[in-house]
Parts: sequence; structure tokens; C-alpha cells
Amino acid sequence: MKIRRLLFVVIVVALALSACVPQAPVEEAPVEEAPAVEEAAPAEEEAPAEEEAPAEEAAPAEEAADDVCASDAFGCAVIPAGDTIKIGMGAPLLGDYSMFGIDISQGVEVALVGDDGFEGWSYELIAEDTGGAPEAGAAVANKMVTDPTVVAIAGHIFSGSTAAAMPIYEKAGFPMMSPSATLPELTEKGSAVFNRLAFTDATQAKFAATLLFESLGVEKLAVMHDGSSYGQGLAEGTKAVFEELGGEVVAVEAVTPGEVDYIAPLSSIAAKSPDAIYYGGYAAEAIVMANQWQQSGLDGVILFGCDGTYGVEFTDKTGPNGEGSIAVSLVPPDSAEKTAFDEAYKAAYGMEAGELSAFSWSSYDTGAVLIAAIEKVAFVGADGSLYVPRGALVEAVRTTDYEGLTGTVKCDDTGECNASGPTFYVVTDGEWVPFVP
Amino acid sequence: MSEQKTTRDQPSLNVGKLIRWIAGILLLALIGWRVYQTAFIEGSYGPDTWMRFIIAGLIIGGMYSLIAIGYTLVYGILFMINFAHGEVMMLGAFGGYFIFELLASIKAPSVSDPNMNFLNAYPVISVLLAFIVGTVVSAVAGLLLERIAYRPLRKAPRLVPLISAIGASIFLQNAAQLLFGPQRRQYINPVILWRGTGWSIPVGDTTVLLTYTGTLSLVLSALLMIGLFLVVQKTRLGRSMRAVAENKQAAALMGIDVDDVIGKTFIISGVLAGAAGVMWGIHNGLFNHYVGFLPGIKAFTAAVLGGIGNIPGAMMGGMLLGLLESVGPAALGIDFQLKDVIAFTILILVLIFRPSGLLGEALSEEKV
Repeated sequence: MKIRRLLFVVIVVALALSACVPQAPVEEAPVEEAPAVEEAAPAEEEAPAEEEAPAEEAAPAEEAADDVCASDAFGCAVIPAGDTIKIGMGAPLLGDYSMFGIDISQGVEVALVGDDGFEGWSYELIAEDTGGAPEAGAAVANKMVTDPTVVAIAGHIFSGSTAAAMPIYEKAGFPMMSPSATLPELTEKGSAVFNRLAFTDATQAKFAATLLFESLGVEKLAVMHDGSSYGQGLAEGTKAVFEELGGEVVAVEAVTPGEVDYIAPLSSIAAKSPDAIYYGGYAAEAIVMANQWQQSGLDGVILFGCDGTYGVEFTDKTGPNGEGSIAVSLVPPDSAEKTAFDEAYKAAYGMEAGELSAFSWSSYDTGAVLIAAIEKVAFVGADGSLYVPRGALVEAVRTTDYEGLTGTVKCDDTGECNASGPTFYVVTDGEWVPFVP
Repeated sequence: MSEQKTTRDQPSLNVGKLIRWIAGILLLALIGWRVYQTAFIEGSYGPDTWMRFIIAGLIIGGMYSLIAIGYTLVYGILFMINFAHGEVMMLGAFGGYFIFELLASIKAPSVSDPNMNFLNAYPVISVLLAFIVGTVVSAVAGLLLERIAYRPLRKAPRLVPLISAIGASIFLQNAAQLLFGPQRRQYINPVILWRGTGWSIPVGDTTVLLTYTGTLSLVLSALLMIGLFLVVQKTRLGRSMRAVAENKQAAALMGIDVDDVIGKTFIISGVLAGAAGVMWGIHNGLFNHYVGFLPGIKAFTAAVLGGIGNIPGAMMGGMLLGLLESVGPAALGIDFQLKDVIAFTILILVLIFRPSGLLGEALSEEKV
């Protein structure tokens, strides 16, 4: 009996050791495989012709690498030749919210696969399932930081999971760029690593109020919402900014979602003769309102919706009544780059971009921004491995200035990177077209 | 027995009655004062806005009335609340919707527009067809409901068919969801009936829009109600219905086929509910498998408000409820989300002061 137990302990120890052993050579490998470096060197000499900055460093490569990595707050990620530069992601890939995770991972992957790599290293996405839950978000983050070849994180996808993962990445110096986490508090914590492309409801409200007041010349605004925290938050945010700008909010009304008769509240607002009505809520109620616009005496008043209002459903079900309504979307205006992305996405996954979620395009920008930041700071050491100084990468992501599908990506001090704001659309001849003030 | 009871309860009843009346008068005074304030002192709304409230209230009230009549007819004859009646209306809405979709897909090229479809080429026929199909679907649904869910339980205690009705309601909702999908659909009307078009009535220095769809609903519900009144009062079937409502055994002894009359009553209430469903679709547009639930509850309220079992009461109750919902929040100067609170508060008040409803008469022995 005792011998058996001893044997068991021995086996466990042996297993543990064998699990650890391969780890060590990986880290030492670059040093040992000196000949491989010599082979890689000629290739490297061709590259500097294109990029001058690394060329200077290439000569005294080994010392420079040591210097940079020693002085960097978080050290360097060392990626041996033949390996890939990995970008991590924690996303709901299974379960109820999987469409978001799948769409976003696919969007990022189009960016990574479409890129022709850096100095012979290509990019790879490591997407792990979080189910959108905070606990799983922390678990994925812990896994990511132990992988020496993961340099940056695209995500996380849901706010809760992102909030749980942030402190872990913060400690390890992994820059994050989320296309979809919108919780306002995320950027209020003073995190150096967290950035996002998603515009928060507060950002949307700010842009909407500014557009209403400045571009549309609205002086008297009425605000409506559906009582949900999303709709009410947007409506109240817009009201606050609009009043700050000097406009007058003449009415605030809430409607009960799911009803089909809003003539009474709309007529009540019409009696206060506003120039426009801002509505925070979803398409179903906005459709009912647009259809009852004339009956409520709101002729000539603008219906100004939010990203919940935007969609083909609205134009389909309102017809001529929806004409001139304005809404907000994550979908960027058409451009050559967007068409190229849409085609690549369709070719790779057999479905249209935007079919699973509206985040396809901002996911692509997320991938592209991270690639641009990595290429800014990464360099090839004398041993033929790719060195990515982590602290510098965090800095590079924060100082990004990039023109993407969704507009300008330029982060402020807190990590809000959607500088050009949401895209506004107006219904013209039954179609949503980008709004030009 | 009953005489003894009344004499014993007499003194306490008077005190209670007094308190009730005093509280009621105070409450009415309070409401009156508040309405006077919002309407005349604050003057928040001009006459045009009041007119919009009233028009919207009458249109929705007409639909409530049609559905409420169904509750009242069935209650009058079987003394049970047919809680699946809202779902009968929902099926009618689906029937009309699919006819509109079908007609829209049929091409009817004309000289001016080769892409014209049947729906726009012959709007009158299309709308008529939608109403016919919608009412037929609802009538059949009502008849089947009676045969399957209620007839086997005719002799059971009164709570049993009530439970069966709730079960049928849930079953129909879920069946419709499985058959037609959970998404919200919208009636695509013929262009001349497009929502938001209508006559402009000048009121003061502005105009109020009276929509074609709303007018259609209102006129049609009025016609149906008149028609029903004539059927009940002037025809042989109506006489049998009234006889069965009065006393089933006696009616049977007089040679009336009670089962047949009950079946026909369900058909008539199904026709009215189906018409209300198609009106709902044409006027409001959006609907799904839950569309019958809230109007069903509201119409039940309307039937109780007017006095359940009483047909003119149901008509009046529906109209009153629609108007109260629409005008109430504005008149009291409170939030529009509270319109249901107002409607149901009025119901409670009416039941306190007139337990048998506004037009309800004292119920006969058997009905109590």
C-alpha cells in the first residue's frame, strides 16, 4: 500500500517535471541555435533597405536588444524564427452570445491573415472562449500572460469580461484594444493598457447632441426613450450635452416598449413644438413612432434615433414615413477598403460582414491597429528572434494614429480611440445613406 | 334566505355605502380639479392636441369594443370568461396579414405601371378579402376552441373551463410562435391606405390628420356593432341566444338546440375579434403572436366596465376605455406610461360604486 502511494507521488512528480522541461528550452532556444541566426541574417540585411530605423539597430543588434529589453518596464516578448506573432482574444465563442465572439474573431483574423507579416513573422489570432463571463475573462487573461509569444490583446469582447481581465494584463504589460466593450467605467480606471474602438453611449450622446445643435441647427429638442437603461442613458446623456451647448430641451417622455400606439405621447410633445425629437431605444418602437408622426402633428420635425434604431427593418417598415429620419451605426460608409474587407470576409467565412453582429468592421480595425503598433516597436535581434518590447508596445497602441474603415483611430489619454465618432445615417429614398451636414 | 341576509346586513351596509360615496365624491372632485387645472389654467395643450387624443382614443376604443363584445356574448351564455379570446383576435390578424402578402405577390400589370401588384391595383377588393379571411380564420378558431376546450367541460365546476381557457390561450400563443416565428411583422398596406395619410381637418390655425386607416377602423367597427345589435334583437338566432342566456334548461324545453346556439355565439364573437385583428394590423401595423394578449385583457376590462353580459355595455366600455387611455394622462398631467394605471383605476372605481358595471343590471339568480 505504502509503496503504491510512493509510486503515485513519483509519477506525479515525473509528470510535472516532464511538463516543465520543454518550457525551458523554448526560452533558451534562440541562444543555443546560433547557426540559425547566421542563416537568417542575409534576409535581414535586405529588409533594412526598406526600414531605416531597424537598420541602425541591426549592426550592434545584440547589445541594442539587451538595452531596450532591459530598460523596458515589462521586458520583451521574444518570438523565435518560424514562430508567429500572436494576438490574444477573450471572446464568447460558444453559447448565447457566440455570434459576437465569432464575428469579432473573424474580423480580426481577416486583418491578421491579410497582413503580409513583419520581417518574415506572420500574425496569428489566439481566441479563447469566455462565454462573456467575468470569471472566464480572468481565466483567459491568466492563460494569455503565460504565453511568451502573445504580444497584444484584441478585446476582450464584453465589458464584464474585459473589466476582470484588465488588472491581469496591466501587471504583465499587454496592450488591449477592444472593438466592443462599451461600459464607460472601463476607461475611467486610469488603465495604461486598455484602449477601445467601441464608442460608449456617452460618446454617442455627445456626438448626437453636437450634430443636432450645430449641424442641424436645432434649438428646441424633445427627448424620448423606452425606459431601458440603454435608451434612457442615451436620452439623458444627449439632453445634458444639448443643454450644455445652449439648446433648450422642451420635453422628456418615456414610452412603454412593445406597444403600437404612441400617438398620445407624441401629440403631447408636438404641442411643445420642438424642432427635433431624439429617441433612445430600439427599432420596433421607432418604427411605430415614425408611422404615427403625421397623425401626432409632428410634420417637419426630425426623428433622431440611435444605434438601436438603425437597420433595414426601420426603412422597410416605415416606407415614406421614415424619410429624413437620422440614426447612428457602427457600419462605416462605403469605401474601397470596406469593399475589399467585405469580400475578404465573405471569401474566408462564407457569410456577409455584419451578418452576425455590427462589429465586423471595427474588429478589422482593431487587428490593423495592433499590427501597426507592433511593427512600430518590434525589431529583430542578432540571434534571429523577433523582440517586441512590451512597455513600448503599450505606449505605441495608446499613441496610435490610424485611418481605418470606421474612421480615424486616435486614442486620448484614457484609451478612447474612436476619434471620428459614430457614423450618422439619414433615410433618403427609403435607404440609409451617410449623413452629410 | 336571501331576504334574511339583506335585512341583517342593512345597517352596516349603509355606513359602508356612506363612506364609499364620500370617498368617491372627494376623489371625483380631486380629479375634476386636476383636469380643470391642466386643461384651462396651465393650458398645456391646444384644441388640436385634444382632438388628436380623442381621435386616437376612439379608434383604439372601437377595436376594444369589438373584442369586448366577444367576452360579453360568451359570458352572457356560458357564464365563463373566455381568456383565449385575445388569441382568436391574434389569429385573425395573421389571416389578414397573409392575404395581404399573397395579394402583394400577385402581379397585376396595368398600362401606367407594369410592376403593379394586385394589392395596389384593387385595394378595395384586397382589403375586403383580408377582412373576410381574417374573420373566417377567427370564427373557425372560436368554434374549434369551444368544441375542444370548453364543450367537454360544460358540466364541470365553473373554475375548470376558466383554467382550460387560460391553457388554450397559452397553447395558441405558442403554436402561433412555432408556426409563424417570433418576429414582429408589419402589414404592408396598399399605397392609398398607407399609414400617415388621411384628411387634414383644420382646427384653429393648425390641422389635425384623420388617417384613412383610422377612419376605416372606426366606421367598420361601428357598422359591425350595429349589425350585431340587429342580429341579436331582430333575428331568430338572436332570440335563441337571448333565450339561452336567460335560462338554458327552459330554452332547451322550448326546442332550442343549446349546443348549436353556443357554437354560433362563438362564431359571432370570433368574427368580431377577427375583424378587430385585421383592423389592428391595417391601422397599427406591427404585430406578432403576443398581439392578442394586451388588447384581450383591455377588452375584458372594457366588458366588465360596461357590465359583463351586456352588449351595449361592452361597446360603451370599449370606447370609454380607449378614450380614457388616450386622454387620461394628458388631462391629469401625468406620465403617458401610466395610461394603464388610469384605465384600471377607473375600472376599480366603477366596480366599487357599480359592482355590476356601468350598464349592467342586477344579475339573475342563476348567474350569481
